[in-house]
Amino acid sequence: MCESGQKTSAQLIPTRRVEVSSEDHMPHDCCSTPGGTLFSTTPGGTRIIYDRKFLLDCRSSAVAKTPPRGLPDIPGVTSPPAKDGLKDKPLKGEPLNNNVIRAPDSKAPGDDAQFEMDI
Amino acid sequence: MNNKFDALKDDDSGDHDQDQGSPKDCEKENNEDEDKEQNTAKIKMAVPGVGEHPLQYNYTFWYSRRTPGRPASTQSYEQNIKPIGSFASVEQFWRFYSHMIHPGDLTGHSDFHLFKEGIKPMWEDDANKMGGKWIIRLRKGLASRCWENLILAMLGEQFMVGEEVCGAVVSVRFQEDIISIWNKTASDQATSGRIRDTLRRVLNLPPNTIMEYKTHTDSIKAWVDFHGLVTASGGR
Repeated sequence: MCESGQKTSAQLIPTRRVEVSSEDHMPHDCCSTPGGTLFSTTPGGTRIIYDRKFLLDCRSSAVAKTPPRGLPDIPGVTSPPAKDGLKDKPLKGEPLNNNVIRAPDSKAPGDDAQFEMDI
Repeated sequence: MNNKFDALKDDDSGDHDQDQGSPKDCEKENNEDEDKEQNTAKIKMAVPGVGEHPLQYNYTFWYSRRTPGRPASTQSYEQNIKPIGSFASVEQFWRFYSHMIHPGDLTGHSDFHLFKEGIKPMWEDDANKMGGKWIIRLRKGLASRCWENLILAMLGEQFMVGEEVCGAVVSVRFQEDIISIWNKTASDQATSGRIRDTLRRVLNLPPNTIMEYKTHTDSIKAWVDFHGLVTASGGR
């Protein structure tokens, strides 16, 4: 370390422990960490950061398709909620926008062009 | 011109008393019984379900709609904004988002708001009082894609401005749509600059799209000037 008269203080790198209780929680590829695509240490501590692709990939998991409990019924905005007594059953409401939004192929490097959009 | 909830005085939207846990989640801290309580004063925190990917913050979706033609007044806004639900994980987010229509398909004068849990999508909230927003006006047809990219970036902590981001809004209007992202400290130019740069990176906006930063206090002034001061008695 360069000792050129500046005073710095040593600080421990903040770490975060994620308990992995089952094999299901382990990421399938070696580039990810359990609990998130990236644990990033920034000033102020670690943050949970997800890139767009990771978030989109999570969408297809079966859990994500269940309508959330308590979703209000707003015609034209939300799909109707489940009725009482069906708490423990898979809800039959279907996702409203199963079709991903289509967007023009992006020219940005690294952007996955999985959308097309009719404008 | 931005006629948002600047003049909301009474927030009648209530607290989010909905249980957002996964059906398989047996470690819920929220009581399922409270689903039925519509007017509870308790504030419940969403909790990630077992095996789900937690977000850095919890968030709440809100929806609002204004009947066109009604005179704008402080009272007319208070009924028009309602929470849709809160979530604490990526999976919970998708559950809500997949059961909401795309903003491009909303009718009338409608907005979706996605704010950190505990922050109301109103300038009066403590988190917003000293804040401002970037607004981006979009021609019709782009809102759905841009909104999705915006909220994915926000949920994924792509903005890298610490605690500054409060939430995002998509506003469907007559001949254009508007997306905006609100942050806490309008005077923090480093933050607003970084937010702007991230917006450019993640939104894939058409060339020549104009981004504008407005403080909430400026928006209030504009609203007041446009509508005039409306007192309870209706006078100036």
